[in-house]
Amino acid sequence: MNALLSLSNDLAGAVEHASRAMVGVNARPRMGSSGVHWRSGLVVTANHTVQVDEDVTVTRPDGRTVPATVAGRDSAIDLAILRIDAPDLPVAEVDDESARVGHIVLALGRGPRASWGIVSAIDDARSDAALLTLDLTLYPGFSGGPLTDARGRVVGITTSGSSRHFQLGIPAAAVNRAVDELVRRGRMPRAYLGVSTQPVRLPESVLAQLALDQRTAAIVVDVHAGSPAAHAGLLIGDVIIAVAGVRITAPLDLKAILRPQRVGESVVASILRGGEARELQVTIGERPDRR
Amino acid sequence: MSGRIAGDAILDLEELAHQLRRVTVELTGDDHGLGSGVLWPHGFVVTNAHVVRRPRMTVRLVDGRRLEGELVARAADADLALLRVAGIGIPSAVIAGPESARVGSLVVAVGHPLGVRGALSAGIVHAVGPVTRGGRPWIQADVRLAPGNSGGPLADAAGRVVGLNAMMAGSLALAVPIAEVIRFVRSAGVP
Repeated sequence: MNALLSLSNDLAGAVEHASRAMVGVNARPRMGSSGVHWRSGLVVTANHTVQVDEDVTVTRPDGRTVPATVAGRDSAIDLAILRIDAPDLPVAEVDDESARVGHIVLALGRGPRASWGIVSAIDDARSDAALLTLDLTLYPGFSGGPLTDARGRVVGITTSGSSRHFQLGIPAAAVNRAVDELVRRGRMPRAYLGVSTQPVRLPESVLAQLALDQRTAAIVVDVHAGSPAAHAGLLIGDVIIAVAGVRITAPLDLKAILRPQRVGESVVASILRGGEARELQVTIGERPDRR
Repeated sequence: MSGRIAGDAILDLEELAHQLRRVTVELTGDDHGLGSGVLWPHGFVVTNAHVVRRPRMTVRLVDGRRLEGELVARAADADLALLRVAGIGIPSAVIAGPESARVGSLVVAVGHPLGVRGALSAGIVHAVGPVTRGGRPWIQADVRLAPGNSGGPLADAAGRVVGLNAMMAGSLALAVPIAEVIRFVRSAGVP
């Protein structure tokens, strides 16, 4: 058999293999999304496609629909975890190490439907929220479905996120961490600092003086009473430059480090106050209200 | 994938393109290209009904020969048409079995998109079935097509024709499944 035909057969086999653990997720008004039966009884999908907390259902590969409950959300990486009761449903074969730039990957959606392409970049600037940038088409309803390698092993889940212009993959390692956290705690806490921030440009004098390699940061415009930030002594007007060793160049960077597994962790916040660098110890807390 | 396998696959793709170009014709009405067609065994061309706008069409082979194609059968609802051509040494396509398109398998399209002769595009089978509930079945492929691809072959990795490219739906190529093409050709009395 020629190499092309054997690749073709591998890809078709990969779709069959991975789609056994793929489900449809019905949690938004119009078109449903897709999900992966990641561990026994736990389905992962893209958080932005789970628009309701009640009356969520999951459609199995055999067409049967079963009720699901929202077990946890990690909006920083657009991940939601659902609980289902389907002991006979196969669990995905996950590979959390192999995704490399240039690899051929398949994105699958309920049906099964498929598209293919390559991993075009791996953003590792923020290691625990690194995403795969994909050169492929995510068709309507694909979000939350499996991203597989040419053998059908699941290397992540896909999401178009909130933008129509991006095709992203949440790497399997990040999904594994979130699922581990959920299993360990029995629920998924929402990490909380208790500040509102705005982007701010750093003055040249400060850049030179502190030898910083970032031009922007996040300035505190509100500190919520009784919050972890308030306990740590953060004040309105403080400029946050880094938290836990991660550069904060914009408010979104701050959101990205607030991951469920960080709840309870004590981290160092590097700030500028009145032009002087300071370090504060902050214990990341849990958001008190649900929404 | 090792470098050698990738290299072999690229050589296979070149061979596949060569093989398919030989059996893909360009159909013209007056003097401009209208679409593509597939050389069928026994001296016939199958294409889309929307490509054939008159009873006689000019059929251009890859070697530059121009033959006259005479309309034998046309089914507007299935978007299929059959032309008869006469000539010596006309090659014909290898036709796949009816259940040949598996979701995820590689497919290639050859045609004359926007007047570019013999252009090859490659992708995978996205789904097989209706696009909307209750509609007719299509091979839906994650392959980029353009006007001029109509009537041209969608083939598997071995060069067997699995469908006839008919239109785009968003970024998906829709091809008439080969089973339907075979049924249409048989109904016109061609073996």
